[in-house]
Amino acid sequence: MRKNNWLLGGIFLGIIFFLAVFLVKPIGVSTQFSVLSGKIHTAIAADIVAPVPGKPGEYTSTNPYYAKSKGKLIADMKNLANYDYIFVISIPLGAYAAAKALGRKEQLEVIPADANKLQQFALGFLGGAIILYGARLADGCTSGHMMAGISQGSVSGFVFAVSVFATAVPTAILVKKYKSGGK
Amino acid sequence: MSKIILAIILGSAFGFALYYAGAADRKNVRAMLRLEDLTLMKTILYGIGLAGVLIGAAASLGLLDISHFNIKNMNAGVIVGGAIFGIGFGLLGSCPGTSLASLPYVNKAKTWGIIIGGLFGAFLFSISYGSWLSSGIFKVFDLGKLTLFNISPKFPSLYAFGAEGVLLMGLLFILVSFLLPKKI
Repeated sequence: MRKNNWLLGGIFLGIIFFLAVFLVKPIGVSTQFSVLSGKIHTAIAADIVAPVPGKPGEYTSTNPYYAKSKGKLIADMKNLANYDYIFVISIPLGAYAAAKALGRKEQLEVIPADANKLQQFALGFLGGAIILYGARLADGCTSGHMMAGISQGSVSGFVFAVSVFATAVPTAILVKKYKSGGK
Repeated sequence: MSKIILAIILGSAFGFALYYAGAADRKNVRAMLRLEDLTLMKTILYGIGLAGVLIGAAASLGLLDISHFNIKNMNAGVIVGGAIFGIGFGLLGSCPGTSLASLPYVNKAKTWGIIIGGLFGAFLFSISYGSWLSSGIFKVFDLGKLTLFNISPKFPSLYAFGAEGVLLMGLLFILVSFLLPKKI
């Protein structure tokens, strides 16, 4: 069904990216991976972060990434009930609602017969780590940099998109070649 | 409090749209990246285009609070980070937003792998940020929060043209989305 509805999907996405800017701020996802991993990190190593005396809401850290922008990440770690974090964790809610509403039960992908769950998890873990490492270095992902960025006319959004596709296209082609050549 | 409710509504709507558009289906993304089926690319181009048209129109008419704009810094980190991101993106056909929207599908072991691996990758970046900072990468090609059009006095822009430029750019994206064939 998707094949005939590329336009409807695009209209839907376009309206949401606009509404987010209109009502609050441009959509972004990958920062919240830094917030949640940082929350776990600072729960284990609590002494690496500290509030700035006399400046409520500001934090400092021995880690220069957490200390950036007056400790904004640390403030978010301490209060996960903030707009950005709640936005991101609401994404699966909408996806489940869509799965139910559309009754689409098709398979996400053909799982190789010889694959086990641990292998699939490990492959996902490796790829996920690469994706988020790159996204944090670039300071954004396909949502924040590419879609939200370009739709505001941001130069970094265009550059990010070119850079991503420059490696993603050959990687995806090589992966298929390797898979079909392997067996 | 109302902001939290907005976050739930907008976040859910985004997840719904990603799933509806087929962007959460990793095999669609991989088919797009292999240039075998560009249907999803048409959707993405149209989505960016429509958002641009609406943002440009609303800003031109003075209906948009321009303090809502958020432009990210341009520097070499965007190029290197994007290239690293692309390797994982090409390998899996998933990105941070769509990984969360693909939870309803089968092969949940891989989806959770991406999410938990993503948290690990973000953590690795947090502890290596100091080294990147001292490498000077963020000072290379440092153009700041550069925009194509002058949407706000806060950001430097390439053209003096205002938000109408974003509207026209959006129309161009929409045109390309219609012209792009599903298969090449």
